[in-house]
Amino acid sequence: MTLATGKVGIICCSGEDLSEGTISRVATCLVLEKLRPDQTVTLCLPLFLAGGEDERAFARVFPTIAVDGCSKKCAEAGTKKFSGKPVATILVSEVMKKYPHLKIKSREKLEPQEMELATKVAEEIAKKVDEILCKTAKK
Amino acid sequence: MQNSQEVSSQPLAADKVAIIPCAGMDKALGSVARACAFRVVEKLRPDKAVLICIPPLVAGVKPYSEILKRYPSIPIDGCAERCATKIAVKNGARIKGRILIPESVQKHNLKPKSASDIGPDGEKLAEKLAEEIATQIDRLLGK
Repeated sequence: MTLATGKVGIICCSGEDLSEGTISRVATCLVLEKLRPDQTVTLCLPLFLAGGEDERAFARVFPTIAVDGCSKKCAEAGTKKFSGKPVATILVSEVMKKYPHLKIKSREKLEPQEMELATKVAEEIAKKVDEILCKTAKK
Repeated sequence: MQNSQEVSSQPLAADKVAIIPCAGMDKALGSVARACAFRVVEKLRPDKAVLICIPPLVAGVKPYSEILKRYPSIPIDGCAERCATKIAVKNGARIKGRILIPESVQKHNLKPKSASDIGPDGEKLAEKLAEEIATQIDRLLGK
């Protein structure tokens, strides 16, 4: 990870416990690779939790969005504990409520319906990134 | 600390093994760690392997540290930072085997594509690692 200005950090739970963790991971990858590649960096949660000082320093200085799969909000809690409260949290289980027709079954490989949901989550993350950068630019 | 991909030959008085994938972002190898862990716990050794999810372990929202203290552990690390191993040790795990994926990439000459899509080589690598972990589990449990 490289420290840079005008960037938003995205820290996703990528939890293996639930399919929502896979959605959070894939959605984060979509933002980083396709939707906002120049405006975002990812913070590796395991590295962050294991003591990665670069990751922790970034989250202390730059705005960070936590993407959590479930209401345990491990990514948000970890960020808060070691760096400071994330500017925003996207909760996959909440986004899912908006799209009840999109069901998730697998936590390993996403089917087209699950990819559609990951795309919806990615779009919400990208929207939040734009809002944060817009506010930062106004300051 | 033992060398990676080596396990103790001493069978333990346990009926399960804890699998701790790093699932690191930013790198395709974190995705391989996840993929091979899922193969072990869902397909190869569903009754003998317990999946440990790192974020709730550190956040303390699930009793994973109790599981780590109870069962022998195999961390799967996606990079040289070895976060899964570090976090497992910090939470009282007894490390009895380890997988360091960068070493496996070289060993099998299989390079995953990206974090979002590990591609055919990544899938093959995950399959091979899952088989290695299943063998380690059998050895640890004395089967």
